[in-house]
Amino acid sequence: MTKAGDWQSYKRVLLPPVKDLHHLDVYRAGGGYEALRAVLSDWKPDEVTEEVKRSGLRGRGGAGFPTGLKWSFMPPVKPDVPRYLCCNADESEPGTFKDRQLMEYNPHLMFEGILIAGYAMSLKACYLYVRGEFANWITLLQDELSKLYDAKLAGSNILGTGFSMDIIMHKGAGAYICGEETSLMESLEGKRAYPRIKPPFPAQSGIWGYPTTINNVETLACAPLIINRGGDWFAGVGAKKHPGPVLYGISGHVNRPGVYEYPTGMLITDLLDIAGGIRGNKKLKALVPGGASVPVLRADMIDGVTMDVESLHEAGSMMGTAGMLFLDEDTDMVAFLRRVARFYHHESCGQCTPCREGTGWMENLITRIDDGEGNLRDLDLLLDLCDQMEGRTVCALADAAAWPVRNTIKRFRGDFERRCRPSAWAVNA
Amino acid sequence: MPKVTIDGEEYAFEGQPGLLQFCLDHGIELPHFCYHPSMSVPANCRQCLVDVGAPVRDRKTGEFQLDENGEKVVRYFPKLQTSCSHVISDGQVVHTARTSEKVERAQRDTMEFLLINHPLDCPICDQAGHCPLQIQAYKYGPEGSRFEFRKVHKPKKVKLGPNVVLDAERCINCTRCVRFTDEISRSGQLTIIERGVKNYPITPPGVSFDEPYSMNVIDLCPVGALTSADFRFQARIWEMASTPSITTTNAKGSNCFLWVRDNLVMRITPRPNPDVNEFWIPDEDRLTYRWFNENRPCGPAALNKSGACSWDEAIQETAEILRNTGKETLFLASARATVEDNWTLMQLAGAVGGQVAGYIPHIEPGHGDGWLRTDDRTPNSQGCERLGLRPVDMEVWGARLNAGEVQGLYVLEDDPVTAGLCSAQALENVQVILHYYNTTNQTLPAANVALPAATVAETIGTYVNEAGRAQRVVPAKVIKGVNRTLMMQMGLSRADQHGTPFDRWHNESHYVDCKPSWEIIPQIARNLDMEIAAQSPKKIMQHISASIPAFAGATYKAMGLSGVTLPPIEIEVAG
Repeated sequence: MTKAGDWQSYKRVLLPPVKDLHHLDVYRAGGGYEALRAVLSDWKPDEVTEEVKRSGLRGRGGAGFPTGLKWSFMPPVKPDVPRYLCCNADESEPGTFKDRQLMEYNPHLMFEGILIAGYAMSLKACYLYVRGEFANWITLLQDELSKLYDAKLAGSNILGTGFSMDIIMHKGAGAYICGEETSLMESLEGKRAYPRIKPPFPAQSGIWGYPTTINNVETLACAPLIINRGGDWFAGVGAKKHPGPVLYGISGHVNRPGVYEYPTGMLITDLLDIAGGIRGNKKLKALVPGGASVPVLRADMIDGVTMDVESLHEAGSMMGTAGMLFLDEDTDMVAFLRRVARFYHHESCGQCTPCREGTGWMENLITRIDDGEGNLRDLDLLLDLCDQMEGRTVCALADAAAWPVRNTIKRFRGDFERRCRPSAWAVNA
Repeated sequence: MPKVTIDGEEYAFEGQPGLLQFCLDHGIELPHFCYHPSMSVPANCRQCLVDVGAPVRDRKTGEFQLDENGEKVVRYFPKLQTSCSHVISDGQVVHTARTSEKVERAQRDTMEFLLINHPLDCPICDQAGHCPLQIQAYKYGPEGSRFEFRKVHKPKKVKLGPNVVLDAERCINCTRCVRFTDEISRSGQLTIIERGVKNYPITPPGVSFDEPYSMNVIDLCPVGALTSADFRFQARIWEMASTPSITTTNAKGSNCFLWVRDNLVMRITPRPNPDVNEFWIPDEDRLTYRWFNENRPCGPAALNKSGACSWDEAIQETAEILRNTGKETLFLASARATVEDNWTLMQLAGAVGGQVAGYIPHIEPGHGDGWLRTDDRTPNSQGCERLGLRPVDMEVWGARLNAGEVQGLYVLEDDPVTAGLCSAQALENVQVILHYYNTTNQTLPAANVALPAATVAETIGTYVNEAGRAQRVVPAKVIKGVNRTLMMQMGLSRADQHGTPFDRWHNESHYVDCKPSWEIIPQIARNLDMEIAAQSPKKIMQHISASIPAFAGATYKAMGLSGVTLPPIEIEVAG
């Protein structure tokens, strides 16, 4: 059963069908920055956080942590101790392209969300860390940001309310690992982007060692909607335990790939229909529901599964970034996994031993199988390497690299075994 | 007092100790590579993983939950913890590889990963034999390898700077070297480049790794990736004997090891001493190793014996000269010689009715850096001061020497010509007796009697550093003559360390024909019919510590290998 209710008549709110919405005047003409005005003049900071808590908003960056709770982790305000917000726009998970869409078509929703979040946490500066490859959108964002400053909607004394906040854009240099929140902070500080050990968590010691909250672009873009329409409205959209509108980035072997905005809790089969079904009237073979690092689902595992944390967990996968990759019956799962493993090998920062050495070894093994020179024991060795990497590193990249390997082999073992030579020796576990 | 249970045994602790250091301090071995006690904790090698848990308390009553056997229920962290970054708190339960199969397996797994791209060229690697990776791989690593692919290739023999050579393939990316330049020496001359498995440390473009402490990264490196440009491929670890000693290029008295093979000092490495130099020594101290091997004298010489002569002849000749010049002799002590040598010289000067004028100061303004290098380029000026000696007035004595007013000059282990006290011509009509280390000594051509003296690597003695810390040295290599006192004090870490005729590198000519000044001077005194009572350095020091308040407590026993701090004294600042 779908948890999205009457999704056929759903009206888009994150990416509404308005022409030239990325211009400040168009955005304001449609009631933009009214949520900010309301918040700054009538709300107390705590009330904003409470409203976001009530909305049940969960982070859209992949981990799905409750946003209101994260904001409330910030320590009490102390004079002379700066505190920061950081908007994570370093979207680089393979199969994920929703933040890019938001930044291109509705950047002011994000800016408004940043300012509201900044007010809620009583801070004065936000770093906007944008993926370096998004060169075009960086120019666009910079233009809109300067318009924002000209209109007194950012900078000092916003809208004459006495609240001041700066938004500083920072361009990434093309490393996937910079999307990890602690290495993002290292990168911002001008250091090599090695993830930090947690604890201390960013709310205790973040950018330059000061309290910091890091949110995804889409998460922050939800804030103005929650203020405008109320947390209860937000909580009523989609699945109960994971509510709100969400951008589904649908790609792969479908007829109409793209970013689709619908409530959470959509049936996967419904989303496949929306995207026009598998191209060439073929059958579905596999689905990666939330970006390359989440476990892959077999076609027979998606019946009745909806796109929310709870249902996907039961099905044996994760919501991730909702970047859905559909694969048709002709897909070579070995080749697919080879490409995924290559990505993680290429992007491992090299700080921790298991990930640095393990990702390369995995790619080597899968390449060998794909080239038809693999042995059956290689499959067991691969599963062994997953055990050796998972949960033993500073950040979660080793986990993210091990999950697809483990689950693709587990769920498509036949595909792999057919490509392997029988082994003379069992793998030495 | 809070307690922690490690492998079933309870340990009390104070404050907030890190788990790894706490275990190491209590004799529990945990394999590790990236952790170093003096630097930040990156927890990147993932080798020191342990299982950590805490007893569960009932939320309402606050009591510990007990299972059916009455034991406390322990809830473990979902993941294994890196012990280096884990701070112990009260009541925690820790399992190391000794009691947990899970931990043992995790450590073996990490070791397997470390080794897959490591070249395993131990047979030609300088680090082999004292390599943490090699040792710990034998203890904690897997049997054999499951890796069947081409290893990652990275640059080899990269000259990072004048003294350090990098072999990037051996590197395991522990980042100790980078952290050293960031946090300890603060030169920032090293960084990691590339990404993932291609990572390796290197200098930024256009920068040479030439800071004065660069070679410390060679000792820090837990593998053979960073090697000394000088020592590379020169000797195997097990062929050398290491003797604890101190460095002598400045007044800091950093503790070091002298590595000797066949009576040649092959290299000098730091010896940890938290009160003096922690874990480090400057490069200039390491590079002095040649000074012990090269340009060394081959026996004494006397001018009117037309050159080389026997020790007996040289000593008789010295006594003869002293008898003639008597108390008109200018005795110069030395801040490069030990306290014992200087004291014996003072006794000799007293025997001929004169006294020691002082020592030649070797101050190089601007050389000190407030850390391990000092303006004073001698190891023992503080020791001389405590014996009541002062720097000689270079102008006054220089003028008198140049004017020919001095008839005899007795120089203990120094070089007045190079120091600028007088010119070599001025010494032509002066009867010069010289104790010297190296044939590069500029006063040597003017010496009437030249007496080769034992260096810090060959003698027993005490040096007092600028902070008033008395430290003694033991011989690291043997001299040609027989001296039972020296022999008894040889630090033997290898029975045949001087080489046997079966070692292909063995060479008799490496035995330097010199003697410690504390042996030479009493012999001279005996020729003058005068007896210096205390003869061995140990007895001399006993006498000094008992009779001179500035040396109170400085007995050999008290000094041990790490030295004692002497009571402060007031020193008149020269000039």
